[in-house]
Amino acid sequence: MIGISSGARRTPLNGLDGRTKLIALLTIFILALVFSSPYYILGLLALVLTTWAIARLPWKLIKDILKFFLIIAVIILVVQIFFYPGETNLFRLSGPIGFIGFSGYITLEGIMFGIAMVLRLVVIMIVAPLLVLTTPLPEFMLALVKLKVPYRFAFIMTTALSLLPSIQSHSAIIQQAQLCRGITDFETGRLLTKLRTTAGLLVPLILGTFRDSQTLDVAMSSRAFGAPVKRTFLLESHFCPTDYIILILAILFLLGGVALRVLGYGTL
Amino acid sequence: MSTSTPKPQPEIRAAPRTWKSRGRLLGMPISVLAIWAALYIAASAVPALPVPGMAGMITINAIMTAISGMVLGPGAAIANAAGGIIAMILYPYGFSAGPLGFLTVTMGGLVAGLLFANKWVLAGILEILIIGSWFVNPQSWQTGMWLVPLPYSLIALLVIFIKPLRDWVRTSILTLHKVWLWPAVFLMCCVGHAGEFMMTNTMVNWMFNLSWQYWVPTLPYWIMVDTVIIVVSTFVGVGVLIGLRKARLPQYADWLEK
Repeated sequence: MIGISSGARRTPLNGLDGRTKLIALLTIFILALVFSSPYYILGLLALVLTTWAIARLPWKLIKDILKFFLIIAVIILVVQIFFYPGETNLFRLSGPIGFIGFSGYITLEGIMFGIAMVLRLVVIMIVAPLLVLTTPLPEFMLALVKLKVPYRFAFIMTTALSLLPSIQSHSAIIQQAQLCRGITDFETGRLLTKLRTTAGLLVPLILGTFRDSQTLDVAMSSRAFGAPVKRTFLLESHFCPTDYIILILAILFLLGGVALRVLGYGTL
Repeated sequence: MSTSTPKPQPEIRAAPRTWKSRGRLLGMPISVLAIWAALYIAASAVPALPVPGMAGMITINAIMTAISGMVLGPGAAIANAAGGIIAMILYPYGFSAGPLGFLTVTMGGLVAGLLFANKWVLAGILEILIIGSWFVNPQSWQTGMWLVPLPYSLIALLVIFIKPLRDWVRTSILTLHKVWLWPAVFLMCCVGHAGEFMMTNTMVNWMFNLSWQYWVPTLPYWIMVDTVIIVVSTFVGVGVLIGLRKARLPQYADWLEK
């Protein structure tokens, strides 16, 4: 599990405004989708890894994230290598196998495209944690609100996250209660049995937490939630010169990347 | 001692108490949406099915998405999106579409929620857009790719567009019919899950350019996975709907009755 930044570690990234980081994240995400050349995506990956190093985040985290995506990465690579319609034949594996759409040749374009897609997967999967691990939750929510995300939505997110420990403890209590009744399939049972016992866990959990929502509703009403007044915030965020520099760079990167793609670069 | 005539004070009127000002969104209390989002995050931590050939795992949150429309109505989209964004960050192994992964659960909840709110035209347009976006990708015109959205999206389209079927599903759920509740919840779960998995498939296909050689051979496996999720969702959904009614806890059906 990846934890949300506590804000304890001070690095240059922690000092940035949440909006800047969100926009930079979106830029990298869009560019990763725009390019299909492995060289360009490798450049993006280098940028992300450099930022990761600047943020002094643990490298083990990248390994933890990527291990979940290893199988799909291998499959993407294999599918592209064997079935991407390339022109530069490198070597012949067999005669054409029509019913699976295999020409019999491994092509240079297939290998390059396969590598590009795997690199795209890696960039996409590690870029989001980079933002979140360097942004304390209140700042993240404030950034969303400042970016004109409706306050109610941001409130739902904040409340959900603060309720999470209580729900997890509810869940543990229900599991213990089920164990007392002799149901032991949460961890060790077969797949279907595990899914069946999941129903026995989810139903009381949902009902129990819905009951708690009544208390939350009363608390919100008593504090006049939704009253038509201008909201103020405990935290305030302001752009500093570094934010402006990064924002300008992000916009330039984005425009430059799209322009390159339109001109025919960054693709196979 | 003289008394001055008091100045006429402007009349203070309380703001009209609309459903919005009482802390509701799309008919559901915000507190319930927040609770659902929290439940969604917690469910995302429980891997249910390891998925060979797809990123990471299918987690219990797939069940939450499938039943969300029946419990929260269109507000399910908001709760799922809020939960999805955080869950994607905390437990990324359940989201194969990366930072935009939350869109998949949002669409699943939205289509099922709109249908349950009897806004079937909107639900139908969204479902068609989701299926259509699959076919916009040139990869989807390859051999047999039309089969991928077929199984559960077809059921979803039938439930959305055939009026007697749609009305029967909604009425059975709203009245908690003793017999028909089960198949009705099953069909509603199909709608919710179809929205989610087609959106995921479309996004993954756009991002990683997977060809028919991946999709077609793995189709039986995906049908099996989807069936398991929908069946388990039906069990959970029926339990939750009956439980909420018995305990008189808030659900979208109350809002519809009002």
